[in-house]
Amino acid sequence: MKLPVEGWPEVSGQGRVGAVRRVVLLALRDLRLEVRDRAGLLSILAFFAVMLFIMALALGPEEEPLRRAAPGVLWVALAFGSTLLSTRAFALEVEEGTLDDLLLAPGGKEWIYFGKLLFQMLLLLPLAALALLMAAGLFYLPLERLFPLFLTLVLGVLGYASVATFYAGLLARLRGREVLLPLLLFSLVVPVVLASVRATTGLAEGLPVAEISDWWQLLLVFDVVYLTASALLFPVVMEG
Amino acid sequence: MLLRLQGISKRFGRDWVVRDLSFTLERGEVVALLGPNGSGKTTLLRLMAGLLKPTRGQVERAGRTLFLPNPPAFHRHLTAREHLLYDLAFHHQGKEPEEALDRFGLPGDLPLYAFSSGMKKRLALARLTLLFPDIWLLDEPETALDKGGRELLLATLAEARKKAGVVLATHDRTLAERVADRTLELGVA
Repeated sequence: MKLPVEGWPEVSGQGRVGAVRRVVLLALRDLRLEVRDRAGLLSILAFFAVMLFIMALALGPEEEPLRRAAPGVLWVALAFGSTLLSTRAFALEVEEGTLDDLLLAPGGKEWIYFGKLLFQMLLLLPLAALALLMAAGLFYLPLERLFPLFLTLVLGVLGYASVATFYAGLLARLRGREVLLPLLLFSLVVPVVLASVRATTGLAEGLPVAEISDWWQLLLVFDVVYLTASALLFPVVMEG
Repeated sequence: MLLRLQGISKRFGRDWVVRDLSFTLERGEVVALLGPNGSGKTTLLRLMAGLLKPTRGQVERAGRTLFLPNPPAFHRHLTAREHLLYDLAFHHQGKEPEEALDRFGLPGDLPLYAFSSGMKKRLALARLTLLFPDIWLLDEPETALDKGGRELLLATLAEARKKAGVVLATHDRTLAERVADRTLELGVA
């Protein structure tokens, strides 16, 4: 059996390549666990499908109200999906009692944060693309603007998941973490959700890309700020 | 000095589990923690590992530390070989797990949900010998092991003594007397 990064430069120290290798390995290991377990993956897929269908039935069948509601519905689905997945990323460790092993690995603890975030992005982006296609079919989102829509999705999901991963790690060892996570998370990610919904609305209404780019820049700024702050604070909150 | 605890106390809510304890572990030393259930053995091991913060006092470690919980913690959807490979990579070590799997009599390709408690304990010992930390913190390492597993445990502890320091919590006084250089007896407050 070979690990997925076999053949990568073998770094025995704690250099940058070694850290990246650990991050990628942790993400791929979690992906392997999730695919073998299937419970988390199927519940998120089912959640996306059920939510989009119910909202389409409730708001349809006229095109105009569906198209107007599409960005909000899509981002509610993505926000809840990401929250479910971030809880899941640490639940994998807490349920099996393996979080301590990760914490005792040599070097800083930032790699755990980035590994868990990468795991979520690897799983969430294909799921989000699927949700986008479902929303395009059910809510008349313009498919010819798929690339800018997907870009909005990547920027929004990254900002959301970066904070969600941080809080999921912070709450990992607490009972009632599933209740606490949305309470703490939603107040902080309002700017990301707002910018994502506005960018998606603009694209659905056929606004030129130049007018959307302000929202993308705002999303990019929030992504960088949230990623940096979370990566810096994560080792502190994981201490004992 | 590998590990030093200075005036350590730990409180959960209103209950003091460990109170004003000082302790030093040297390389080449095996120390047994003895005491009834609830006397704070596991809490003390977790404090030593840095997995818990003391309410008072200081913990100093001068080396890589691993903690073997009871029962050992593994991802049940991975195989033994996969688990060891990932562990080795996370710890920046480029060794091969085959020899350790053979030595501890473990099937490499069986998912861990099919492992018995004793096999998981053997896997935990195999993991320790591969990662070979400076400080070994073992919580009841003898439980669930059969006769062969117990012999492997004794051999593993003998190896660890040569290059590392070991603290093991146990209820087995025979084991403690056989392997430990000294014992630390904890009582219930």
